[in-house]
Amino acid sequence: MKILIIEDEGDIRRYLRATLTAQDYAVLEAATAKEGVQNLTLNQPDLVLLDLGLPDQDGQDFIRAVREWSQVPIIVLSAREQEADKIEALESGADDYLTKPFAPRELLARIKVALRHAARDAGPRMEIFERNGLRLDLSARRVWLDGEDVHLTPIEYRLLTALIQHPGKVLTHAQLLNAVWGRRSTEQNHYLRIHTQHLREKLKDDPLSPRFILTEPGIGYRFAD
Amino acid sequence: MNPDTKHNEGRPDPDKLLALVTSDGGEDARGRLKIFFGASAGVGKTFAMLSEARRLHKDGRDVEIGIVEHHGRPETLALIEGLPVLPCKVIDHRGVQVTEFDLDAALARRPSLILVDEYAHTNAPGSRHPKRWQDVEELLDNGIDVFTTLNVQHLESLNDVVAKLTGVWVKETVPDTVFDAADEIALIDIPPDELLQRLAAGKVYVADGAHQRAADNFFKKANLGRLREIALRRAAERVDAQNDQLNAAHGQSEVATGDKILVLVGADSLSSRLIRHTKRMADRSRAPWFALYLQTDRHETLSPKARLRVEHNLRLAEKLGGRVVRLNAGAAAATILDYAGRNGFTRLVLGHSRQPWWRRATGQQGLSQKLIAQAAGLEITTLNADAVADPTVEREPPRWSALVARPRDHLMAVLAVAVCTLMGLPFRHLIDPDSFIMLYMTGVVIVAARFGIGPAVLASVLSVATFNWFYIEPYYSFTFDNISYAVTFAVMLATSLIVGSLTARLSLHVRLARQGETETRLLYDLSRHLSAARGVEAMATVAARCLEPAFDVEVRLWSGGRQVTGPAEDDPRELGVLHWVMHNHQIAGRHTDTLPSASGLYLPLTAEAADLGVLSLTPRDRVRQFTSAEQLVFETVASLIAGAFQRARQGADAEASRVESENEKLRNVLLASLSHDLKTPLTVMGGAVSSLLKMRKKLPREAVDELTALWGQLTRLQKFVSNLLRMAAITSGQLKLNFEPYLIQEIAGAAIQRIEAQKGARQIRTVTAGQLPMVTIDGALIEQVLINLLENAIAHTTADGIITLNFETDADRVRVRISDDGPGLKPGTEDQVFDKFHTDNDLKSDRGNSGTGLGLAICKGIVEAHGGLIYAKNNPTGGASFIFTLPVANTIGRSA
Repeated sequence: MKILIIEDEGDIRRYLRATLTAQDYAVLEAATAKEGVQNLTLNQPDLVLLDLGLPDQDGQDFIRAVREWSQVPIIVLSAREQEADKIEALESGADDYLTKPFAPRELLARIKVALRHAARDAGPRMEIFERNGLRLDLSARRVWLDGEDVHLTPIEYRLLTALIQHPGKVLTHAQLLNAVWGRRSTEQNHYLRIHTQHLREKLKDDPLSPRFILTEPGIGYRFAD
Repeated sequence: MNPDTKHNEGRPDPDKLLALVTSDGGEDARGRLKIFFGASAGVGKTFAMLSEARRLHKDGRDVEIGIVEHHGRPETLALIEGLPVLPCKVIDHRGVQVTEFDLDAALARRPSLILVDEYAHTNAPGSRHPKRWQDVEELLDNGIDVFTTLNVQHLESLNDVVAKLTGVWVKETVPDTVFDAADEIALIDIPPDELLQRLAAGKVYVADGAHQRAADNFFKKANLGRLREIALRRAAERVDAQNDQLNAAHGQSEVATGDKILVLVGADSLSSRLIRHTKRMADRSRAPWFALYLQTDRHETLSPKARLRVEHNLRLAEKLGGRVVRLNAGAAAATILDYAGRNGFTRLVLGHSRQPWWRRATGQQGLSQKLIAQAAGLEITTLNADAVADPTVEREPPRWSALVARPRDHLMAVLAVAVCTLMGLPFRHLIDPDSFIMLYMTGVVIVAARFGIGPAVLASVLSVATFNWFYIEPYYSFTFDNISYAVTFAVMLATSLIVGSLTARLSLHVRLARQGETETRLLYDLSRHLSAARGVEAMATVAARCLEPAFDVEVRLWSGGRQVTGPAEDDPRELGVLHWVMHNHQIAGRHTDTLPSASGLYLPLTAEAADLGVLSLTPRDRVRQFTSAEQLVFETVASLIAGAFQRARQGADAEASRVESENEKLRNVLLASLSHDLKTPLTVMGGAVSSLLKMRKKLPREAVDELTALWGQLTRLQKFVSNLLRMAAITSGQLKLNFEPYLIQEIAGAAIQRIEAQKGARQIRTVTAGQLPMVTIDGALIEQVLINLLENAIAHTTADGIITLNFETDADRVRVRISDDGPGLKPGTEDQVFDKFHTDNDLKSDRGNSGTGLGLAICKGIVEAHGGLIYAKNNPTGGASFIFTLPVANTIGRSA
């Protein structure tokens, strides 16, 4: 597994390299966006760790540019705690984000999730999804919870399938609205909220201690991995 | 025919219907006006009005009697009984106590419906408006419904008809436009016989004294019948007009006759009659009508009073619903016919006055004759000037009084002749006497140029006389030897009169042109200086400097709630006018319809519907009246200043927002780089220490202990830096809330997960009371609040402590309470815990977040930015509670 680190701070690169090589990942390094692109094309890494504050290009622009020709998982590292930045990065095509300072454990967990997604996306289309007592038959469009039939409305079903496509990955409000209601329907956050509550009720999912659908305040939802 | 229009015919026009519905009372802002309308006094208008008001009052309507003239009649008094009555205002007018309707009290009281008797009443001097109907307008504008009463003779357009019929002139009139705009007209009608009986029984109030005879004349049976007919017809016309509106809205074409009427207006007293006549004609045939004023050469020679009368006449036409047109013309008849022909007029109304004998003798035609002779296809209505004298129009004082009025000018004319005579005398033996005629001529021209036509005529006559006396032999007598001098004198007189009058007229023109030029120059200077000035204060100073010398006035300007130029104003009366103008955005004060007794004229400054301030002009000479021409200039000036203020304000706004956005950018950059510079080394250090700790088996024990301590301090430092940056964002006002609807439990669930690692063995319990509505919040920030409060609770409980989260609804808020079973707060510090850097040193572990005291301050900042409340208190059973509330999202219903 090859991981590309695009980060202008040498110390952070060194820290990341130390953490990653200890887990037997091969590490590639780039200090600028330009080097990053060269490395991406030449070495075909399995995952990219990207710092948003690069000296030669805005990180968001970099994600959009890369997404035009590559589906490599990108995890964003950011010093800013601005939700708007995270949402923009996710909607540009990043797979996940980490706010500095972060613990090595958290970083490794996120990397694992992202790599698994990539592997699944590359594999054959999922027919049956099963996790934590929830079972979906995607070809028959049926849902069972702990062995019992669950009746979902079409909207709730679409919402659930959008979430389970990428367990553990944060989907922004806009992305979910887009997946459920189609394009240009990004202004109805409270519909999304209401349908999510209904879905949670049917899945007996208490928002105070969620089992399936996790809230990412200010950003979106993520399906428990 | 166009297929589209054919298709549309007969189909309701939604816009027109909507407009009708809105004017029908759908409009919330404006009150509804109901007029109880009658042919004369005594028909029972007040009685009907009070009866209806009682009925509404019984139905629970908030009715108030503003003013009702009961004249001591028991039936009326019985009806007033039990209805709330607004106290009248007592005005002291030259020692006489006058009671008037108290408009301010009515506006303050704001009843749903108010009764204001006698719509046409003229208010005592010193009231806000000269007329009561203007008070009513203000009540309606403030959303109060009004009942009022009106007699037919008080209607502006019928005023002269009724006067001609009864011989009683009333000065108190109500414009037809307000009558037509009333929401409802109730015609109160009784047969004349019955009215006469009531009169005989003393049930009708008749003013005593001088008016008694007029009243006797008024209440003749024949008159009452005619008045009744006029009132019925007027009320019927209004119903017709309403039907037309309705028909038009329903797509049925208006029953218009296709008429269009033009009335010629001048400075004479006949014009007001012409205008009223035209108004009635127009109403009957539902035709649009225009009042035309021809600005010929004669306009220049009109006295200021006559010009004012022209303006009055034109204003009357506007008040009656006509449109006003002014044309500059040389040949009157041709211009009028050309204008009428081009604009599709079908009828022409004009006055006819007998031509003076010399004109008739020379076969000259008057304007009416010329028009009748030349107009093709135009229906011409002429009214004879001598029909009825309108006493409301002041007559032009006779010419001779003008002579007396300017004795100085005439004295100068005599002096000029004397000087001419004295200059010639030493030479009369040397030069032929005819030459001196030129000397006198020069004198006449000078007098004409300086003092106008009257003195010029005097100088001409005196010149001939003195020429004869001093220069024609025999000297010092009016006789002359040579008979040919008779011709000389005649020619001299004629020539000097002609030259004198021509010169006088020319110099008048020059003076008027100069006056016009001065005006133009003033406006030009003002706008040039205004555009050069920066800021409202500078503009105001410039405006005052331009206006004060030009009109000899004191200039005051108010803008943005304060006076920006001029001497301070502290007269409460003037401030009252100022307040009214600021509130109503209409001209008021000196010689206007509103508060005319004020010494200043107050003009609102409005541009693009924005209210920018008030301009007041107070003449230094307190008795001077502003002419209507001056008022026009003032209005232009006001709009110039308003435009300048608008520019200044936009400029200031743009500058402020530019500075603001620069600042915001700077702050953002600063915060971002601070975050980066602080967090990067912390990340590196944390990473390094945790890497080292992974190798703890290879390290000496002391080193591991040190590293563990270092790790703990690092974690604390990281939290502190995060909090510091958050606090910086909150206190710099840069906290942009990203509001979204959330169920509070979702946020709490996320927060509980986030502190999972820290809570250790402590229990976190949640209690939700019933179903909670959604709250509109910034999810990430409220999550931070919950995390901070939970961390705070964890820090102050033992390892096996219990933390409880309570969620409940309280009216339009959701309340969240985080309680712990720790030692609680030190009494009296409940409020201080939210202060920045507050730490409770008396407790073993401090109440701040990791010792920085910032965590709770951050909570307070965030909750207050949401419009919520946050406070702390000790539980009766021990431990502390932190409580905060959040406003409920108003558009979303309750959800599980």
